Amino acid sequence: MMLLPCPWCGPRNSTEFRYVGEAGPRPDPATVTPEQWRRYLYVHANPCGPVRETWYHRAGCRRYLSVERDTATNDVRSAVDTASAAAASSAPGDAR
Amino acid sequence: MTNNGSSRTNGHRLSGYSAWSLLRHGAVGGTWPRAWREHDLESSYDAVIIGGGVHGLATAYYLARDHGMRKVAVLDKAYIGSGGSGRNTAILRSNYLTPEGVRFYDRSVKLYEHLAADLNYNVMFSQRGHLTLAHNDASLRTMHWRTEVNKLQGVDSEVIGPDRIKDLVPYLDTSPDTRYPILGALYHPPGGIVRHDAVVWGYARGADAHGVHIHQQTEVTGIDVSHGRVTGVQTSRGPISTPVVLNATAGWATLISDMAGVSMPVQTFPLQAAVTEPVRPFLDTVVVSGTLHVYVSQTDRGELVFGASVDPFASYSMRGSLEFTEGIAGHVLELMPALHRMKLLRQWAGLCDMTPDYSPIMGPTPVEGFYVDVGWGTYGFKAGPVSGEAMAATLATGKPPEIITAFGLDRFADGRLVGEKGAAAVGH
Amino acid sequence: MSLLPTTRGPREAAAPSARLGPQPGEVIDRRRSIPFTWNGEPHTAHPGDTITSALAAAGVRVFARSYKYHRPRGLLTADYLDPGAFLQVGDEPNVRGAHRLVEAGMAVSSQNTWPSLRYDLKAVNQLAGRFLATGFYYKTFIKPEPLWPLYEKVLRRFVHAGAITPERGAAVYDHRHAHPDVVVAGGGPAGMAAAVAAARAGASVMLVEENHQLGGHLRWGDAADLTALAELRARVAAEPGIEVLLDSVVTGRYDDNWVGIAQRDLPGVTERLIKARAKTLIVAPGLIERPYVFAGNDLPGVMLSTAVRRLINLYAVRPGRRAVVMSANPEGDLAVADLERAGVEVAAVLDARDRKGVVRAHGRGGLRAVETNEGRRIEADLLVTATGWTAPTSLLNQSGDRPIYDPRSARFVPDPARMPENVLAAGEVVGDAGVEAIVEHAEAVGREAARRAGRIARAWRAATPAPADTTDPSDDDPVTIPSLAPQPHPELFAAGTGGFVDFCEDVSAKDITTAVAEGYDSVELVKRYTTVTMGPTQGKLETVNAVALVAAATGRSIAETGTTTWRPVYSPVTLGALAGRPHEPVRYSPMQSWHERHGATPLVAGQWIRPEHYGDPAAEVRAVRTGVGIIDVTPIGKLDLQGPDVPQLLNLLYVNKWSKLGIGRVRYGVMCAEDGVVMDDGVTGRLGEDHYLMSTTSSGAATVWEWVENWLQTAHPDWRVHVTPVTTAYASINVAGPRSRELLARLTDVDLSADAFGYMNVRTGAVAGVPDCVLWRIGFTGELSYEIHVPASYGLHVWERLMAHGADLGVQPFGVEAQRILRLEKGHFIVGQDTDGLTQGFTAGIDGLIKLDKADFVGLPELAWQRERDEHPHLVGLRPVDGSVVPPEASQILDRSGGIAGRVTSSRMSPTLGRAIGLAQIDRELAAVGTRVTVRLPDGRDITAEVTDTVHVDPEGERQRV
Repeated sequence: MMLLPCPWCGPRNSTEFRYVGEAGPRPDPATVTPEQWRRYLYVHANPCGPVRETWYHRAGCRRYLSVERDTATNDVRSAVDTASAAAASSAPGDAR
Repeated sequence: MTNNGSSRTNGHRLSGYSAWSLLRHGAVGGTWPRAWREHDLESSYDAVIIGGGVHGLATAYYLARDHGMRKVAVLDKAYIGSGGSGRNTAILRSNYLTPEGVRFYDRSVKLYEHLAADLNYNVMFSQRGHLTLAHNDASLRTMHWRTEVNKLQGVDSEVIGPDRIKDLVPYLDTSPDTRYPILGALYHPPGGIVRHDAVVWGYARGADAHGVHIHQQTEVTGIDVSHGRVTGVQTSRGPISTPVVLNATAGWATLISDMAGVSMPVQTFPLQAAVTEPVRPFLDTVVVSGTLHVYVSQTDRGELVFGASVDPFASYSMRGSLEFTEGIAGHVLELMPALHRMKLLRQWAGLCDMTPDYSPIMGPTPVEGFYVDVGWGTYGFKAGPVSGEAMAATLATGKPPEIITAFGLDRFADGRLVGEKGAAAVGH
Repeated sequence: MSLLPTTRGPREAAAPSARLGPQPGEVIDRRRSIPFTWNGEPHTAHPGDTITSALAAAGVRVFARSYKYHRPRGLLTADYLDPGAFLQVGDEPNVRGAHRLVEAGMAVSSQNTWPSLRYDLKAVNQLAGRFLATGFYYKTFIKPEPLWPLYEKVLRRFVHAGAITPERGAAVYDHRHAHPDVVVAGGGPAGMAAAVAAARAGASVMLVEENHQLGGHLRWGDAADLTALAELRARVAAEPGIEVLLDSVVTGRYDDNWVGIAQRDLPGVTERLIKARAKTLIVAPGLIERPYVFAGNDLPGVMLSTAVRRLINLYAVRPGRRAVVMSANPEGDLAVADLERAGVEVAAVLDARDRKGVVRAHGRGGLRAVETNEGRRIEADLLVTATGWTAPTSLLNQSGDRPIYDPRSARFVPDPARMPENVLAAGEVVGDAGVEAIVEHAEAVGREAARRAGRIARAWRAATPAPADTTDPSDDDPVTIPSLAPQPHPELFAAGTGGFVDFCEDVSAKDITTAVAEGYDSVELVKRYTTVTMGPTQGKLETVNAVALVAAATGRSIAETGTTTWRPVYSPVTLGALAGRPHEPVRYSPMQSWHERHGATPLVAGQWIRPEHYGDPAAEVRAVRTGVGIIDVTPIGKLDLQGPDVPQLLNLLYVNKWSKLGIGRVRYGVMCAEDGVVMDDGVTGRLGEDHYLMSTTSSGAATVWEWVENWLQTAHPDWRVHVTPVTTAYASINVAGPRSRELLARLTDVDLSADAFGYMNVRTGAVAGVPDCVLWRIGFTGELSYEIHVPASYGLHVWERLMAHGADLGVQPFGVEAQRILRLEKGHFIVGQDTDGLTQGFTAGIDGLIKLDKADFVGLPELAWQRERDEHPHLVGLRPVDGSVVPPEASQILDRSGGIAGRVTSSRMSPTLGRAIGLAQIDRELAAVGTRVTVRLPDGRDITAEVTDTVHVDPEGERQRV
């Protein structure tokens, strides 16, 4: 079982967290085209390698975390609070 | 590489498998011919199929057999059947929720019913029936929904109560005071299990007999696109020029489509499975519980095969987890408490290409000549034959046949998703 | 080959005893004897005996029949792996008879025999053996197709296995979490030395050994080995930091050193799964002796050198009378010495280092003679082979290592370069240069494992917000680990005369060469085609031989051929242990005891158990419509929202507008996801200037809470909103019906008059003497009603007061079923029942609620496009023309050509209207009120129904506004 380094709680078992998904910017609803919006809804980078994604520390501090993980190895490189500037994402990852 | 089957030519007759030929071999000795041959990688093919699983091989088989396209290559980065085709739990059924899903999988079950004879290779399709248990009134309602849609499509499904469930599977605890009482089940007699590797090998042998080149240990490293259309693929064994490329790589679908510049509404999740030591057969029917995220069947070897829903996070790692085995054991024992002494023997994982609507993505892409047969999630193996048939028609004519038009890539940009999501979670 | 081979069967129990005099390293307690039965016949064992050692001492040599050909099988390895000793013990199948200790009263029987071990009629398969070549299943039973199910039934009869029974026998399982610094997998000399060294360096250690004693191969060694063993055991015993787990096995190594251990040595617990987050893992499993492949190699009487040494030295059992030994290594030579000491006549020693060897074993049902590669034929009842070792690298593979073939030592060895920092290897799996070298190496590994565990612990502490001292000690230099090399060994795999490669699966050498010739020419394809290594021993005995045969058949080297993947679990573990104790908690409201006392029928609703009804749901409906009823709605999700930016949050998450919600007002809202699909609904009331209480559906409570937090934390961290989930902080009761005001007024000081407390308002106050209750005047049932949220610990009190004070009003408790009928009469949809995973807002009929003129809300673009496209299905009311027929939920609605045009999502007989009513999702073309549609009932009949407004009772809403 993976250990996720929660910035508030320290390294914790991944079962304490809920995986939310790849994080990306939310298009402006006022100007967005259907194609852009549905790309936001449905298309994933899905890389085999490092990806920035959101996890929720459900059984811990209940903070949403921006995590950098290698999907080939499940090695976690960093985890910061989504509210911090370092996260720099403007949409929940599981909006769909 | 040499052509080991040098005495045979394209379209040669199979060295037929039958009880009689088996006896003859046993009595006289001698060796069977290779089930498929090795070939040098040619510099050009009429079509290149990426992925040597059941989808890729079935497409090649029907392409060569039904559409006369003989210069076809199937490429696999490892050995054939090394991906999901050899890692799934080999459950077949057609009791889906949407009319388009039911029609599609019903055609697949029909093809499976005659596949052994068609391929002259016993794939051991065992139609022992398929039970999807309902533990609450919401899931019971979904079972009724599926039943009614199935019946309207001519598919044999019905909702049965605890007494009949107990008759079919005496080991199930159908008493009403359990944590997850069994209120009823969707019973689907045509469902069952099949020998998954045999399906792969049967198609490979059949495709080979029709002249298809199967290239194992051949990894695709790039796809050549020029002026919006495919011109070839780059491989670990050299380049191939071709006007038609099919991506049939399941969990790796995004990586291959990325090479052609086509982005995918796909996310790769591991799906784990496990098998126990064998015991005397006691379970004829496939048993599924969506609420408990588990499906169980017993093979002809006596092993119980377990599966669950996909892992809780996206990954290309196939290492498997302890918590999967804990969960599966706990849930199986909720259903069948007497199995506690059975021992888990082995666990493994495959990669699933999950889509937003739990339905596949089949057909053309914005890149001309580049086709996809991906997005299978946890359902790919069931659909092998019908997908092969439909994708062969698509590759040969450039136009998807009616049976797969609902599954086009453009449905996502159009916002016309397929409604299988309603019955998803665990649907094996 | 005869149909009924004359094997030695149970009758042999009467054979002369093979028990030797006391041996220096024996593990049996000769002072005591314990009774057990073997195939119904009484036997005795000494404490410490395994099932097969006790039976072998009594002269039994055949324990099982093989999988495919039903050939008689005896002991091969005499340990856990022994494929010839899978037995049934009571209701437990597939017991490892050469490992399991005899317990008093055990009923042991052979498996896979019919009608008996001695006369196994399925041995007819041997006759047909040459026709049952590899892959025969795939090549036959193809036509005629209708006969395949019959063939299959026959195949299933031949399954090689024990049996289970439908009754759950007595057994106790458990789980444990552990956080050791170091886990040592394997309690041989290396594991013991590493554990001691790690413990002396300050680490907490779990030392896990599969056998019943520590010591590994030292246990069956000579006097020097036994001395070394005693010394190591004493050192282990002297270290309080070492927890020794015997009869236990590390089953797998998972991400970040999450280690599974199956523990079987606990009194009263059948098996316990330990989940250990090991800072470091030392893999020290030793070596597994490899069988040699030659014709007749499965005859009872053909054994590995380690098997005879175990039998003689641990159990004082003479393994035969006249032996031939084929030895390629010092351990084989030691077996010769042991045999001679045990009084076995050693007829010949074939030194494989001088290219001497066995090519064939002869006998029927047991070994009679051995044929050598020099053409000699030697009478013998025991053939011992010592032809090489397999390194069980399973746990290392699971750590990312890929073993490399080393032709010099004739085995696959670990590649230390690919091991992660938190995994180390020690002992013979690395190299076998003698006990002293192994111990010296293992001690260094143990110290290094402890050092790395310290580093990892400090890194974990450093990653927490308030780290304690995490500086590395000044002397934290890596330990120099001496080299430990595999000793040279001749490459010996197969004699080329046939024989079995996989004893569990009856896979022969010929099967493998045949598979390769047929094109299954990689080791993974051979494995799948022949099933070699797929049986219960999982390749520990078979893999290397199989790889060597594939290499020979393909003309590739063994290194090029590579090995198969060693997957978890290392050793089989019961489902019971994996499951642990049943742990499926449920949630009850504080009023549960009252419901139970008053005959409520329980309903499983997700995590909650709720009253479905109290006997007669129709009567409960009538009570609410005519008098007053109360329902326990505690599971409704409740979020306490505070802060000045709550209106912004509500505006973002709900499709409707919230900016002007006054204090004391309540509003209904629907949430959609970004794809426009309805995800939840509920009411939110404004309790104060910056204070709101939001309700959600019961099943959506957790999801909506996380949804709210996600938008706040991720998209709008600047908004000042604090969210507290209060679902179970309150018990919730809905008081509904025309006399609800009258009832509630008796218990509260809140002014309930229509003017003071109008519809869709919220008040706070005391109810039944309980302060700080929240009262909502809302109307899910369509009647005048008050939803009261009381501090949870007073829930039962308030409920009982309502029942007591409403007795004269005929107050009636009602359950979920009556509530469903009431809401259906009123046309309120249920998210997830009347909507599904693709139901967008305008389909759900909330057109009036969706405010597309808002600048933004979640799902806005999709909803705008849905309306623009205007081709969606609609949620409508439905009334069968024949009001006595209730079309069951999920009945399909047909279009004129018989295709599916929709479905009934909810339906009931309405007690209020005395007729069937429903809700349906239906295609736009048929959705107009007044349209007549065809409904296909599950029994196949078609009925006609009329599309209506969704509201069946009181469409003007007058009843709830009084």
